[in-house]
Amino acid sequence: MHTSEHREQFIVPIGPQHPALKEPGHFEFTVDGETVTAASARLGYAHRGIEKACEQRTWVQNLYLFERVCGICSHIHATCYAAAVEKLAGVEAPPRAQAIREVVAELERIHSHLLWLGVAAHEAGFDTLFMYTWRDRETVMDLLEVITGNRVNYSANILGGVKNDITPEQSAEVLKGLDFLEKRIQHYLHVVQNDEFFLQRTRGIGVTTKEMAERLGIVGPTARASGVARDVRVDSPYIAYPQFPVNMMVEESGDLEARTVIRIKELTESCRVIRQILENMPEGEIETKMPRRIKEGEVLMRVEAPRGELWYFVKSNGGEKPERVHVRTPTIPNMASVVALAVGHQLADIPMILAGIDPCFSCQDRAVIVNYAKGGHDHWTWEDLRRYGIEYYRKQRRV
Amino acid sequence: MNNINGLIALLLFPSGLFIMAGGLAYQWIDRKLVAQLQNRIGPRWFQPFADVVKLLVKEEVIPEGANPWLFQAMPILALASALTAVLYVPMFGLRAAYSFPGDLIVTVYLMSVLTISIALAGTNTLTRFSLVGATRALTQLFCYEAPFLLALLGPAIAAGSWQIGEIAAYAGKNWWMIITQPVGFFIAMVGLMGKLELPPFDAPEAETEIVAGALTEYSGRGYALFRLAQGVELIVGLTLISLFYLGGISNPLFFIVKTLCLLFILAALQALLTRLRIDQTVGLWWRFIAVLGLLQFLAIAIFATWRWIG
Amino acid sequence: MSTESVLQNGSELLKEFTVEQLTPEEHRLDLVIKPEDLTAAVSRLQQAGWDYLAGITGLDPGVKKGEDEGNSFFEVLYHFCSGRYVLTLRARVSRKEPKIASICGIIPSASFFERELMEMFGITVVDTPNPERLFLPDSWPEGVYPLRKDFAGREVTA
Repeated sequence: MHTSEHREQFIVPIGPQHPALKEPGHFEFTVDGETVTAASARLGYAHRGIEKACEQRTWVQNLYLFERVCGICSHIHATCYAAAVEKLAGVEAPPRAQAIREVVAELERIHSHLLWLGVAAHEAGFDTLFMYTWRDRETVMDLLEVITGNRVNYSANILGGVKNDITPEQSAEVLKGLDFLEKRIQHYLHVVQNDEFFLQRTRGIGVTTKEMAERLGIVGPTARASGVARDVRVDSPYIAYPQFPVNMMVEESGDLEARTVIRIKELTESCRVIRQILENMPEGEIETKMPRRIKEGEVLMRVEAPRGELWYFVKSNGGEKPERVHVRTPTIPNMASVVALAVGHQLADIPMILAGIDPCFSCQDRAVIVNYAKGGHDHWTWEDLRRYGIEYYRKQRRV
Repeated sequence: MNNINGLIALLLFPSGLFIMAGGLAYQWIDRKLVAQLQNRIGPRWFQPFADVVKLLVKEEVIPEGANPWLFQAMPILALASALTAVLYVPMFGLRAAYSFPGDLIVTVYLMSVLTISIALAGTNTLTRFSLVGATRALTQLFCYEAPFLLALLGPAIAAGSWQIGEIAAYAGKNWWMIITQPVGFFIAMVGLMGKLELPPFDAPEAETEIVAGALTEYSGRGYALFRLAQGVELIVGLTLISLFYLGGISNPLFFIVKTLCLLFILAALQALLTRLRIDQTVGLWWRFIAVLGLLQFLAIAIFATWRWIG
Repeated sequence: MSTESVLQNGSELLKEFTVEQLTPEEHRLDLVIKPEDLTAAVSRLQQAGWDYLAGITGLDPGVKKGEDEGNSFFEVLYHFCSGRYVLTLRARVSRKEPKIASICGIIPSASFFERELMEMFGITVVDTPNPERLFLPDSWPEGVYPLRKDFAGREVTA
């Protein structure tokens, strides 16, 4: 037993592998009893070197690379990249393609928010809500499959348009799915606002004031829950949002309850706008021809991912490959708020606060490494890595 | 001869193998019910058995820094005390294997040993999750223990005995005490959930915060024994509540029907409620449930005194 | 406010620091400034209530053939957003001695961006509160900056 005069620091590590995190990240919370007194973060566990890798690939190849920045919001990454490249090339995708992009983007938002609601409920220890939301999330994924053929990584975009049209039959199926989802969403809104036990874990917890949200540059639903009216879909409409606008949802209280409520309200809004587009779908082509080389220039393309503002800075030097692509994902500014908020809260609230911003480590970490060899310091290139992978599995099979 | 009977009672029936299997079966029913309520399929019937068998054959890793003797003794102590408790409770509508005036107190004491050994096992290891979990388990123990005891004393006072068999006999002859003492029934149920660390009182093993709480470092045999002990305790708790509040248990059929009804209530509560933070748990117990328990206890005491004078 | 007036406002605000003014897209305004003016420019934007810092982009234009390495530079882009308008401050730092002042004193949330800039481009951000690595692993060798053009993974054959 220690008999030292000093109070020992008691640090609870969360991560890199931890049940509260669906992806790797590392946080250290210093606690006094159950109260958190300090917090720090170390990121980068899902770092894959995408920003560097894209400089070695053609414009078209990169579309598929960026789609894989994140599994949950894959479509919005691809859309942002495609829209940026189209802007650089001076090509405009046809209105029907833009409308289809918006449909998929909003379906993806429903998928992402439902997933988040389940995770948040699980962190709070309300597993029944978790199971129900994830059951309903299956419906959205099925709808996405109807439209694009895939449940994850939909691959709906191509440069200059979209891959698949939406037929009237598909449209009818989506509308039917939306009927079911809208009913469920209303139910969840009721639950999160009225279930006393759940409210005990959300109301007044992790409050981010408007002033704080503005100072930290928080984006997305997390910011809108704190009364900051910031939504790229409304501020700077892109793809089909000028024709089919969405209404911005804002909540004032800034606690976890507000973050839950705002996401569910956004679901209603997404359902409404999808319905509107499907019923007023513009006619015409779904793709235009894109040049192989893209004109020299720079574009900053901002879109609203499910988690908040996402932007791509794309620079072309007139070649077949991009000169530089910089991805700023919404989790980075939001992550700063977690570390700032954690202090003073109960240890039990931490998973909720962490989940409250809907962190996406894959998004955040994306970029740059080309891996490094065990022990040695020589770098691995993609080619080495690929070869290593092939060798590795060949060996495995032999054993 | 008597000794052999005692051994059989401890190792085979009603305690021992039989009750362990029963405990696992009840755990399965509980998991299945919760799964159904959550719109899931749930585990197959042999899942808890398979888990235990698998855990028993696995290597047990004793973490560095832990006292190996204590580390291995704790699960055994937990299971042994839970099994011993079975001896004093009339299981399956049969007479208890052993019975003496005051066995109720011994049983309640033996049931607490499980929590205490889990907490000790947690503090024995150096893992931070275990330490936080153990602290929470002990904090929670101090919350539910007194009200739970009060809830079991209510029927005891009404029956005028501290012997489980006699209280059960009294309960069988009179009105069901769930009607005459509904508050006590409620507290006993909630207390049992606390004892078994079921949601919403699962803060000591909240996996999103502290992984598996006090038992984080346990694997293999030790963990299997803890699981078995929890299963046994589930049955003992349900039996006690049925005995006292649901009009006693006169035959095995009643035993199954009544305990399953209670289990269904437990499962529904687990599915409905959100985990409480440990400070919220303490607040709930001391500000609300303990006060209720005391009021009910006072009412029974006055009633009993009045009857005694009259 | 119309496009002109918002961006006009921004350009007037920073007139004294501006070396060059560009309009890459209709709702964007790029102002090239000297790196030593950075903190002054940022605090003026902040005081004027320009909405928020959206991010910091590092750019390596590379060294062209025959060009003297001493003249080559890195570019650091500070993007400020307000509604649909984006104001970008571009500061050029020399490749030989890449150094830029931290803006965390004015905008604390810039810390993550500055850390990323440091590890990816090897640009020293002077006085940034936490100079430790953010994304790269601890075992990544010192002095290797993956987003510089001279760090090349091998070409991938299509």
